[in-house]
Parts: sequence; C-alpha cells; structure tokens
Amino acid sequence: MSRILLVEDSFSMRAFVRSALESGDTLFTGVEVVEASSGFDALRLLPRGPYDLVITDINMPDINGLELVRFIRKSDQHKNTKVLLISTQSSEKDRERGMSLGADAYLAKPFSPESLREEARLLLARVTE
Amino acid sequence: MTDPTDKAREEFFSEAQEIIETLSKNLLALDASLREEFSDPGLVNEAFRAVHTLKGLAGLFGAASMGMLSHRLEDVLDALRLGRIELTPSILDVLFQAVEVYGKVLAAEKDPEEDAAPLVEAMLVEFERIGAGATRDQSPTAEYDLDPGLLAVLTEYEEHRLRTNIENKMRLYRLRVQFDLATIDKALEEMKERAKRHGEIITYLPTGETASVDSIELDLLLASQDDLAMLIGALGADNVVIEEINRRNATVMPGTIKPAPMLRSRATSLPGKDEELQPLRMGDDTGLEASGSLKSLTQTVRVDIHKLDHLMNIVGELAIVRGALASISERLREEGQRQLGAELQRLHRSFDRRLSEMQDGILEVRMVPLGQVFDRLARVVRQISRELSKEIRLVITGADTEIDKLIVEELSDPLMHMIRNAIDHGIESIQRRQEVGKPDAGTIALNAFQKGNHVMIEIEDDGRGIDEQALIERAIKSRKIASSDAKELSREEVLNLIFLPGLSTREEAGDLSGRGVGMDIVKTNISKLGGVIDVHSEAGIGTKMTITLPITLAIVSALLIRVGGQVFAVPLSSVSEALAFDASGVHVVDGREVMTLRGATLPLCRLDRLLRVQDPAAAGMRRFVVVASMGTRRLGLIVDHLYGQQDIVIKPLGRSLADVRGFAGATDLGDQHVGLVLDVGALIEEVLTGSELSRERKMYADG
Amino acid sequence: MAEIVAHSAAGMARRRGTRDFLVFILAGDLYAVGLTRIREILSPPPITPVPRAKPAVIGVCSVRGLLVTVMDLRRRLHVEEQPLTRRARILLVEAQSGEVVGLMVDEVRHVARLADSEIEMATSLLGGDVSEHVIGIGRPVGDVVVLLNLSTIVSA
Repeated sequence: MSRILLVEDSFSMRAFVRSALESGDTLFTGVEVVEASSGFDALRLLPRGPYDLVITDINMPDINGLELVRFIRKSDQHKNTKVLLISTQSSEKDRERGMSLGADAYLAKPFSPESLREEARLLLARVTE
Repeated sequence: MTDPTDKAREEFFSEAQEIIETLSKNLLALDASLREEFSDPGLVNEAFRAVHTLKGLAGLFGAASMGMLSHRLEDVLDALRLGRIELTPSILDVLFQAVEVYGKVLAAEKDPEEDAAPLVEAMLVEFERIGAGATRDQSPTAEYDLDPGLLAVLTEYEEHRLRTNIENKMRLYRLRVQFDLATIDKALEEMKERAKRHGEIITYLPTGETASVDSIELDLLLASQDDLAMLIGALGADNVVIEEINRRNATVMPGTIKPAPMLRSRATSLPGKDEELQPLRMGDDTGLEASGSLKSLTQTVRVDIHKLDHLMNIVGELAIVRGALASISERLREEGQRQLGAELQRLHRSFDRRLSEMQDGILEVRMVPLGQVFDRLARVVRQISRELSKEIRLVITGADTEIDKLIVEELSDPLMHMIRNAIDHGIESIQRRQEVGKPDAGTIALNAFQKGNHVMIEIEDDGRGIDEQALIERAIKSRKIASSDAKELSREEVLNLIFLPGLSTREEAGDLSGRGVGMDIVKTNISKLGGVIDVHSEAGIGTKMTITLPITLAIVSALLIRVGGQVFAVPLSSVSEALAFDASGVHVVDGREVMTLRGATLPLCRLDRLLRVQDPAAAGMRRFVVVASMGTRRLGLIVDHLYGQQDIVIKPLGRSLADVRGFAGATDLGDQHVGLVLDVGALIEEVLTGSELSRERKMYADG
Repeated sequence: MAEIVAHSAAGMARRRGTRDFLVFILAGDLYAVGLTRIREILSPPPITPVPRAKPAVIGVCSVRGLLVTVMDLRRRLHVEEQPLTRRARILLVEAQSGEVVGLMVDEVRHVARLADSEIEMATSLLGGDVSEHVIGIGRPVGDVVVLLNLSTIVSA
C-alpha cells in the first residue's frame, strides 16, 4: 500500500488527481491518497507520515510548493519520500528551482490522467523494490 | 457505471462556479473603488489569479472555450494590474460581460445542447479592442539584493510580485511568527488581515525551526510603505519578530542569521498589544466590502443539499418512531406493566432529547448566508442602473445572516423583482431628484437580520414612494375594489393593494419589470416559504418592504386530515381547535356558510369543494371542522376525517407548481406516499377575500 | 426500482457530431429527448394528485426523499392517453431552473445515437400544439422518431 499526500488548493484538481491515481490498472499494491488543501494543511499532515510520495502544486497562496519541498527535504522522517511537483505555468524557472530544491519530478498542467499515473508509477516503483 | 473522471468533472463545474462568483464579487468591489476614486491594486490582482486558476482548470478538464476565454481575459487583467492599461468604467463593463459569458460557457460545458461559441467570439473581439496584446510582462530585473536562498523558494509569480514592489520603492520586511498548529488557520487569517492593511504579503516560508512539535514558525515576507516602528506598533506581539530587509548591502537569510540585537531589543520593548488601525479601504457607507472576508476554506466541507434533505427525512421518520415509543410506554402502564412502562418512558425522553439535538445540528448545516443572494442582486442593480441611466447606491447590511439553503434559492427571484421595481418606479430621474433636493444617486438599502425564529429582510429606497391615489384608481379600474369602498380603506390596506393580481398596466408588463411577474406572485412565493411581506411608504420620501421568513423549513407539528380521499397536513400552529361537524348548525349569511362557535360566527369552507376533490365514499359519514386561524381571521375547514398529530418536514413545491394556490408544500407520509401541506393563510385569504371581492364586483356591476 | 442513465458518453458523442437520444413511446408512436438532461428513469411510485394544478400535472411523488412534480407527457403534447401499463415509466429530467421534474411515458425503448445527417429539423411538420415542442424528426435506420424540445416542455 503506497501512501500519497496530495497538496493542492483547487478542489476539482484534487478530485482529478485522486481519480487518476485510484483508477486504471495499478501496478503498485494499491494507493492511499491523503488530501491537503493548502501548504499549512500539508504541514499538519506530514508528521503523520512518512509518505511514499508527495504530489504538490507549486502555485498555492500562502506556502507555495517550492517552500514545501524544501521543508520536506529538511525533514528526517521523509528522507525517502518522493516529491512530484505540478504546476499551472510551464515555467522553466519553477522547474529548475523545484528540482534543485530536491523534487524528484515535475509535471506541467494540463496533463492527462495517464501521464500522472505513469509518473506516479515510476516514482513509487523504486520504493517497493 | 460512472467514470471516476466524471466525478472530478462535477467538482470542476462546482469549483468553476465558485471562482466565477468570487470574480464577480471582486469586480463589484472594483466598481465601488472606482467610484470612490480609490484604487486597490490587490483587487485586480485577485481577479487575475481567479482567471488564471480557471484557465488552468479548463485546460485540465478539456473545456476549450473556457480555456480560450480565460487565456485572453488573463492577458487583459495582466495589463491592468501592471498599469499598462487604465481601468475605466467601460473596461469594467467588459469585465462584467465576461463574467456573464463565463456563466454561459459553463452551462454549455454541462449541457452540449447549449452553444456559447458566438458569445465567446464577441468577448474576444472586445478584448482585442481594449488593446491587450499577447505580450506578457517583461519588466527588467530591478536592482535588489536578496538572499538567494529566499529567491530559490519563490515561484516565478511571487518573484514578479516582489520585483514590482521593489520597483515601486516599497520596503521589505520579514515577520517571524510562531503559531500553534492547532489554531494556525484562524491565527494566520488574523495576522494576514492585519498585515494586509500595511502592504502586500509576498510569501510565507516555514523556517523549519520550531519550539515544539505542536507549533510552527513562519516567515512572512511583507512589502510595505510603512516604517519599521509603525509596523512594530501595529503588528508586534509576543510571538512576532519584525525586521527590515535591506536592499543594498547586508542581506538577511531567513532561518540562519540571527537578527541584529539592536533591532531585536526594539522589537521586544514595545507593548505586546496591537492597536486597531483604520482600514485603508473605502468607508462603510458604500456597504460593499471587498472580498477580504472569505472564510478559511480548510474548515469547511462542501455538502450536497440533497444529502442533507435525506438526513432530514431520516430525522423526520425517527420523530415518528419517537411518537410510537411514547404511546407504547403509555399502553404498557395502562396494562399494568408499570416498571416496563417507566423504563420505556425514560428511553423515550432521552431519545427525544438526542433527536432534537440532531435535528438542530442538521438544520444548522443547511444554513447559508444571505450574502449569496445579495451578491447576485448587486450585479443586477448595476446592470439596471446603467440601462435606465439612474445612479444607484446599493447598501447591503447583514449579508452574513443565515437562512435555510432551500429558502435562499427561492428568494432571488422575488428580491430581484422588488429591486427592479424600486429602481424603475421608485427612484426618480437625476433631474427630478435634484429638483426636490435629494442626492443625485438613489439609495437602495438591503438589510437582513435575525429576529427570534425568523429572518427579516428589508428593501428600502429613498425614491418617490408609492402613489396611493394612483394605486386606488388603478384598483378601481381593474375592478378589484368598488369606488365607494375606496374611502373606507386604511392606509395599510391601500398600500397592500399592490399585491392584488392583475393590476399591471402599460409599463409594468414591459421587459424591465420582468415578463409580467407582478407583486402578487412575489407575495405568493414568499408565502410559499412560510413568510409574509409588509409595505411601508411615504410620498416623496421612499418605500420600504419588509419580508419575514422562518429561518428554516423545519420540522413542524401538523394535523393530518383526509378530504376527498386524499391526506393533507395542516400545520398545528395555524389550528386553534378541531371538533365534530354538526350540519344542523350551519346557516347562510351573505352568501356564505357559517356556524356559531361559542357565541362567535365562524365562516366555513367545504374543503372538498374548494379543492375540487370529491370523495363519494365519504358521503353520509361523520365529518369534522378544523378551526384554522391566521392572525385575527378564522376559518372552519370541513374535512372528512382526522388522523391525528404528526411531526412533518415541509418540502417546498417546485417552480413548476408555482401557479397552484393553497399549499405550503408537501411532506413524506411514509412508505413513499406524499401528502400536501395546506397553506392556511392563503386559504383563508382566498375564501374570505374572494367572497368579499365577488360580492363587490356584483355590487359594482349593479351600479 | 430505477435505472440510472450515464451521460458522460453522451457528452463525448456530441463532440464527434452525433447526439444521444432516449427513445420512448407515446400513444404508439416513437418520441425522443436528448439524453444529457435525463437523470433517471423509474417505475412510477405512488403519485399524489395536486388539486387545481394544470391538467398536464398528474401530481407529486417522492424519489428517495426528493419531491418531484410529475407531468403526463401525453397530455402535455395532446396525444391520445391510453391506460398506463406496467411498462409505463417516469423520466426524471432537469429543468432550466434546476428543478427535477418527472415525465410520464407509456414505455421506454432504447438509446439511439443519431448523426446530424439523420436528423431533419422541424419547419412545421406537424400541426397543433405539438409543433412548439418538436425540434425535428430523426430517422435512424427505418424508424421515424419525433425529437422533442425538453426546455419548452418542462417550462411554463
């Protein structure tokens, strides 16, 4: 069972990602998706980890995704957690910053449910080795 | 089998709707700020963000039209917020138009039979006209010295905001605040509100250093015109440390370098309490608040009203069970099983308490603030005032007064109609207003507040008031009253003439007053919700309409009766008593059947005849009289059978049955059967007034 | 007893230049309405008549707690009303106002996917009251189906 923390302020985006993760053929042993609607919410939920994968939007009011990545990378509890960044603007700068802060992957919107599943599968596959 | 992506699509529609509504509120605030000649850059920014989010979602969910519209609108808003285009009323008009088109585009996404393409095309042309090309912000990198560690965690957007503020010669501050994780939402909202009055918050950074497991430390990056001392005075507190970030030389690295001791001591030597500073925004007299009062989204749960209805049904059925418990416990005691009976009685009481609590709880959940409706009305006001070339000042108070969601849905039409009337017929032309010494802009005040078990909504204008003489003349002309009786009418009765059906003359049937919908339908709709409407007016001064509504379509006690083979419910609050019907006691007075009840005359109504529901099986059987009352008026309803008392949940009848008189709604009777609930007030009025009117007409015709 | 009708496929079909319709029978003839606004099809539960309502209104009923006004589509279109059989069904549709209204029909047949080429828009094919509610005629493989305008039927 892979535990995924989804951090995204738009609720329809969350529904979209959740349905993408929970449907289709899953190669991994099932997923448990926990949703956070803001960076703060994520901070509250992180101690209940560790999570195998954190999927976070970059552009959120208050604490943005990049700040969250840095926070996660400083945390001992989450040293093995994979981080996938998603972003509305396909901004090169955001991507660079994200990766240099320690994110594992980056997806620009709009993306299809299949691409999301593929990314997630790749990231989680290494964990269950 | 529903595709899971369909569920996400439903969420998309829901969220898009919310964003569009927020955008609308935002534009209204911009409108107000334009008029007050105070511009708040934050507002345009918020509009930009909203459209940007919509663009992203549209792309994700394959809503091409919406994406296209958002993309161009985003460009316009970007140009506006960067000051490359100036915001004028006509540009604002275009923005409002865009909101309308968004609504249509969303509807077209839900229903492929609708086509919004031509509207979108037209909108894009408008955007072109405004001259917002496709060029995005290319502002040169300003000279600044900020810690690269800080820059590394800013998104491109936040960095842009930072640069803009620096270009505008703002100072930068870092506020380091400790929060308890448990209360962070509320505490943060408060901090935000206070800080926003002094500048723009660029971003929040968790420092990663905490005093304890339950707390978190955040750095707020604030751009402000104020100096440090002022900020410390306004925002300082025990858990807050404020420092200025220097632009040229020494930089402060968040989280690593300790603040200079000089600054620190300054920070802690000032009193811990904040001062209440005046909000920078427009004064209260516009009444329209900028959207700064959004509730913290993480604390709310989105609920489908139908799920709540389902819960209410269950509670209703449990109420029936509770009743049964009570009667069984009584029977046990009558049959000598005292102990068992007493135990059951205790259970019943405890069940009763819990059930009431649950009922209250669910009712609370169904409540929504009236602000939802008021916002929609604000848009309408703006539209109409421009169409009619009248300047209107809309003052809204009590928008957070809460009422049942189902009632709110049914309120927007009647309210809209009343406001149209006020603007169209009530408020005079600017010229006329100047002649009589009134301010150019007409004022319409919308006020809502709770009073006991009711919610009051007042709509007041400072227009010319109702012309009572003209009203009487129209009523006589439309054969509603006889001229001889006109003199006998009290002022209140005269004003209430506006609620008579069929009074419309030439202009009222025009498109502005809405497809021939008159005040009579407004009154009917309000009474269907269990409410009443009152009118006050002073010639030359203005008119005020007051609507009184029950807070919720709650569970009420009702008397179940049978008439013409059908079961109906009569709310007990409108029943004074019920007794066996003695046909011999009936006599006819002035063409109407009456009987004497303890010395007083009680007019009667054969419900089966009025409702045209005859039941031949009931002929010859014992009948009953239910004495219904509303205020001082009473009416004896003759029915076939009394079932007894029952708690019911009244559900409103749909709009498709809006023309049917006499029913307040319907209720589940169990086992999928539905019983109609009588609207006692409407029935009394129909029977008593109707007879009066027909008598008058007869007199009039006879000369 | 209820059969839920999925509309997602319909939405996608629209984009491909075809539309889905639910075909049913009234007085022996085939009629249809666009699938997208149909929420559910059910066997008629007990219906309570509403005194003094318009003649086309049969009454109200409760669908899992939701109060629904039920209209007799045959009466609404002024076609022959044969006695209802066990095959009669109520189509739950969403009106423009958002209200859910029920339409009683003699029998429900199937879902037909019609390409634009199989549809002939109405000029004034039929006389009388039917014409304002008719969008056109569909001819899927040999059948003749009268396509109805849901919006005008459930409004007013």
